[in-house]
Amino acid sequence: MRNFIAFIKHFRNVLIFALLQGIALSLYFTFVQFPRTQYLTTAASIQGSILEARNGITKHFNLSKNNVRLQKENIELLEELPKSFIKLEGKLVKIDDTLHRQQYEYIPGIIINSTHSKRENYFTLNIGSSQGIKRGMGVFSTNGIVGVIHNTSEHYAVIKTCLTKKLNTSIMLEKTGQQGFLEWDGVNARKGSMTGVSNDLKIKKWAKVVTRGGGGIFPRGLPVGKISRVEVVEGESLWDLTMIFAEDFRKVQNVYIIKNLLLDEQRDIEKQTDYEDQE
Amino acid sequence: MNKLLKNSLRFVLFLLVQTLILNQIEIGFGIQLMIYPLFIMLLSFDTGVLSLLAISFTLGICIDAFSNTFGLHTSSLLVFSFLRPVIFKLFDTREGYDLLLEPTVLNMGNGWFIKSFGSLLLIHHFWFYLLEMFKLNDMGYVLEKTVYSLPLSFFLCVLLQYLFVNKQYTK
Repeated sequence: MRNFIAFIKHFRNVLIFALLQGIALSLYFTFVQFPRTQYLTTAASIQGSILEARNGITKHFNLSKNNVRLQKENIELLEELPKSFIKLEGKLVKIDDTLHRQQYEYIPGIIINSTHSKRENYFTLNIGSSQGIKRGMGVFSTNGIVGVIHNTSEHYAVIKTCLTKKLNTSIMLEKTGQQGFLEWDGVNARKGSMTGVSNDLKIKKWAKVVTRGGGGIFPRGLPVGKISRVEVVEGESLWDLTMIFAEDFRKVQNVYIIKNLLLDEQRDIEKQTDYEDQE
Repeated sequence: MNKLLKNSLRFVLFLLVQTLILNQIEIGFGIQLMIYPLFIMLLSFDTGVLSLLAISFTLGICIDAFSNTFGLHTSSLLVFSFLRPVIFKLFDTREGYDLLLEPTVLNMGNGWFIKSFGSLLLIHHFWFYLLEMFKLNDMGYVLEKTVYSLPLSFFLCVLLQYLFVNKQYTK
């Protein structure tokens, strides 16, 4: 009897351990797929405000570098303004354009927390749903794409970055248009890989990789990286492509969030075709 | 000082230092500095397994909430605290432990501390990286990360104790 009680006592610890461990593991595996609440991420208001306070100090470390980047971007935009062109013909009249309608709007944001050495890296953003940020929106910076919004709260948001196992974004080679998927092996924050490209066409080194823009998350043609190594996957007719990211994720601070004004329309029509296929 | 007050203060300090400072230090080679297991280690010898588990679950969840790891730190800290009594029994000194003491490096000596905390931290780190990669054919990389991070984390933990913790005397 004494042994039995001792056994139960011993067993109780293991039971509690298994229970708590089960909670932790199920949290881990479900959150990576789909976050149900924002309380356990940095999007929650307590964590967000503490991280923002810390960022108030640390943002100054990279200030001069970021200023140079923003200045460069400003110059590029200034060069496209009408006042920086000389009028060649005096008779031209500006006509209200009805052929082009705005599809994408950009919301500026600042990254207040980031990691780069984990297997799955998430960045925290200083704006949230009250500024119109929603799950699934694309994020990019001056040099290239950064990631997709994973989770939002009222004032903060968490970005799933390119530095995760697989960011479900279709990308393509700029010149030839072959498409593939973006993956990251978790080793080097500068290098990612492009998978699913069939090896029937030759690929040049340093070919540019851009977003394909099919899913309505990113517009077509945002830079992703450059192919740095081309190898054949053994036993399959696929290329194993390594690329250097256009953006250095260790330094990025100022980003833009993409709001696709026609996304609902695209989703609606895609849903209709799906529905018809089923019947 | 009141024991509860002291430990609550330590809890907050460990949480803030880990999440706001150490999580931001990126050395490269996949090295992450993790000192929060030291908090569980420093709880006195008479702390029971159940309270160890409860405390480590709370601390782990807090750290996870700040670093977007959704339960990774919690899981490895639970393993750490579950094995703490087992390892302590394994490396028992001849005259047994003074139950009121805290198992710091100053109280217990270098040899004992390296043996017990070293092996606990090794298990903690290995479990952490194994779950993080979750792929058996990346085993080499898991081991590499563990081997690189472990000495740095351990050294930092010892240094912190020499700097901030005083030696306890009992009659």
